[in-house]
Amino acid sequence: MLEIRSARKVFYKGQADEKVALDGLSLKLATGEFGVVIGSNGAGKSSMLNAISGALVLDSGQILINGDDVTGMPVHKRAIRLARVFQDPMKGTAASMTVAENMLLADLRSKKRTLRQGLNASRLAAYKERLALLGLGLENRLDTRVELLSGGQRQSLSLIMAVGGSPDLLLLDEHTAALDPRTADIVMQATVRAVDALKLTTLMVTHNMQHAVDFGHSVIMLDAGKLRLEISGEEKAKVTVVDLIGHFSVKTDRMLLAS
Amino acid sequence: MDFIQTVFTSFVSLIPVTLAQSLILAFVVLGIMIPFRTLNFPDLTSEGAFPLGGCVCGVLLAAGASPLTALAVALIAGFLAGCCTAFIHLRFRIHTLLAGILMMTMLYSINLRIMGKSNLSVFGAPTVFDWAPFVQPGFPAAKIIVAGLIGAIVFILLNMFFKTEKGTAIRAVGANPDMAEAQGINVWVATIGGVGLASAFSATSGALMVQSQGFADVNMGLGILINGLAALMIGEAIVGKQTVLRQLAAPFVGAVVYYQLVSFCLAAGMPPPDLKLATGLFVLAMLALPSLRRSRGPAQARETVRE
Repeated sequence: MLEIRSARKVFYKGQADEKVALDGLSLKLATGEFGVVIGSNGAGKSSMLNAISGALVLDSGQILINGDDVTGMPVHKRAIRLARVFQDPMKGTAASMTVAENMLLADLRSKKRTLRQGLNASRLAAYKERLALLGLGLENRLDTRVELLSGGQRQSLSLIMAVGGSPDLLLLDEHTAALDPRTADIVMQATVRAVDALKLTTLMVTHNMQHAVDFGHSVIMLDAGKLRLEISGEEKAKVTVVDLIGHFSVKTDRMLLAS
Repeated sequence: MDFIQTVFTSFVSLIPVTLAQSLILAFVVLGIMIPFRTLNFPDLTSEGAFPLGGCVCGVLLAAGASPLTALAVALIAGFLAGCCTAFIHLRFRIHTLLAGILMMTMLYSINLRIMGKSNLSVFGAPTVFDWAPFVQPGFPAAKIIVAGLIGAIVFILLNMFFKTEKGTAIRAVGANPDMAEAQGINVWVATIGGVGLASAFSATSGALMVQSQGFADVNMGLGILINGLAALMIGEAIVGKQTVLRQLAAPFVGAVVYYQLVSFCLAAGMPPPDLKLATGLFVLAMLALPSLRRSRGPAQARETVRE
């Protein structure tokens, strides 16, 4: 499970363009819960995700994963517990390395890396099997360098890499936003299948209100670095796109169009 | 006809000497390739690490140390120099090239301090080349055998290492540092270790060079970087760089071909002072070629800098 305790982060402190990114944000996500994070631009969604992954160091507050305080841990240590899929397909994979090598890197995320051969027959067979689940033909392209794949294929690979090894926490940072609608749908379906099958504790940031309605156990809305609204259980099951948009402090038609 | 024959004869007579030299210098090319290609960390430390290895080795040989000890200490010194460059870059967020320039400038003074004077003769001291089997020591054949053997061992070990779990992780740091970090890889350790390893090879090359030529000089690194780059580019043009094996073979193949080319140019009567200009123009041409081929129009407003 994930717990954020009164996290605070201020950018450009003491300067004219001071910006409070996280303003005492507190949040709890139970084990196995799939939370969908929404909020307008600048609400602190990305800052929150970066704070959880360790890319952003908090001014104050705490972050706990499975009850352990990870606040002071660097990114690579936290990676043992969490996996992340970025919005940009380029960010989550190593472009000049092969599909199999990328799978290997993800496979070793929470393990100790040794001086034994990385890609052996049993691993290659396992990767082949896992990639076949996507139905994109990636299982036959293990030796292809990732830079030769399309954005959708790369993002699907990122997803498979992230969910492999069942991380304690899965962070999805608008991971379908850069894809065309059909590919976005494939990646989203694959996400839901993996999250359900592995019962992953998941936090997904999205600007797509339909996704917020359709997926996840709860909707978490951020505004100005604070938790503005949390809808879960019965209420979440009944929520509609229009309801959600009604909660945005700045109501714009663009949000509706974006869904 | 006469001219061509003279050129050819003097070139052929120089082939063994040049081959011995190129096999020794292949380690610098390797020390340039690893940061540039594998770690995506354009590094200039080799220009200082090469003479560092030479100076350390020279002083130790003069003090009566065994050639193998001298080689090992030079290797460690080079490793530390590379670690410093990587640390300067990571800790103070200074551009890798500037960190390398800083390091190589500081190393010049350090090299002078180590030797106490600008050059040191170790002629007649025992060398690793004395141990070559079947051949008389001191001849190019001995150097070719020993340097070639060390090169082959290093090549095989590196090729195995870069395919291990740890080696794959180091390559990932070069390919995408953010992704590597998110996959639990300690980017600092990988970068410092990798650049250190590369500089260790450069220093080893300097040490071998000193044992081969019989003297150490603080200025022996002058221009080694651009020579190494030229060699690397020739190697990559010949064997490619798409796989770990090819990328690792490129420095060795490139060094051998490049120094034979240089030797041929000199045999053909090119004045030695012009050599650096020619090498520089060659590297420039190799770097410029892809962009000339790509478009006839002006360069794109924002193009990634070629390294």
